Order: sequence, then C-alpha cells, then structure tokens
Amino acid sequence: MYVIVSPRLGTPGDKFEPADDINVQALIDGGLISTDKPKKSSKVKEEPVEEK
Amino acid sequence: MATSVYLSNPSVTINSVDLSDQCTAATITYNVEALENTAFGSTARTYTAGLANNSITVTLYQSYAGSETEASIYSLVGTTTTLVLKPASGAASATNPSYTLTGAYLESHTPINASLGELSTIDLTFTGGTLAKATS
Repeated sequence: MYVIVSPRLGTPGDKFEPADDINVQALIDGGLISTDKPKKSSKVKEEPVEEK
Repeated sequence: MATSVYLSNPSVTINSVDLSDQCTAATITYNVEALENTAFGSTARTYTAGLANNSITVTLYQSYAGSETEASIYSLVGTTTTLVLKPASGAASATNPSYTLTGAYLESHTPINASLGELSTIDLTFTGGTLAKATS
C-alpha cells in the first residue's frame, strides 16, 4: 500500500493507487509517496454544551 | 477564428506528478513511421504506416526542493513511465483533450544545467510508447 506524501500527486495521507506503467520506485525514491499505512482521520469531539 | 493560447494553465503530469507549475514548454509529437512501398509501375512514391514513434518534450524549471522537479525526475532516467498533457487543467473534453503517452522512455536528464544570472531549466525528451487521446 502506498500513501501520498506530496500534494503534487493528490491529498497527502490519502492512499495512492498507481496506474499502469507508473514508476512507483521513482516516486518512493523522490519522497513523493511512502509505503506507510494511511493515517486515520482524527476524531473531533463536539464541543460540550453547558447547561444553564 | 479560434486559436489556442498557452499562457495560463496547461496541465503536465509526469509519472502521476503534476509538474504544471514548473513547466514552460511542452510538445507532443505523434508520429507513425512511413514505410515506402513504391513499386515498378508507380508514378509517385507511396508509403504505408510503420511503427508509431511518439515523443514528448518538456522544459521544466529545475528545483531541488522536496517534491519538486529533481525529486520527481531523477529516478525516471532509464525507465519508462506515463505522461498526461492537456491544454488546460480542467476535465478532459472535446475542447480540452487529454493526451496520454504510456510506456515512454526517459533516456537522459541534466540535473545541473546552470548559467550565470539565469533560472535553471531542464529539457526532457520522453520517447516511444503508445499515445492515446481522450475527450471525456
């Protein structure tokens, strides 16, 4: 699994699925993608409502 | 008369990397070699289609920063990749056709091409491969 690092390929952190004949090793060598697992989106807790 | 002016936002993607903002020139050469089949009795030379021999040349500003030109190009030398060029950055359409060259070989690259007082640029030629045009 490949993950986008550079915004020139898409949204950083998103999964990268190479099309046919894309040189994946060149992208890794250039630091444009990584082989890490994609980060999970952070959960945002809703602001607590104060009781009046 | 409608004309195409390349001043604003052509789209150049090399090996999935969008390098449009580093590119100043791009040329697609769609070529099918001519094989002569003129024979006795002919009154003019005639030809038939041979192998396709396509190429794309681009001029890019050189940059050694992360995710920029050098990081995107250096490891492509001696390998094949895919390039996608469009007249404008929007979706492919009849008036904004997308040209994809698949299996294009990059023979050489000039990591340093510097002259005093000038921005460094590199000229790349990708040869071979299959060219496809899409309008949607």
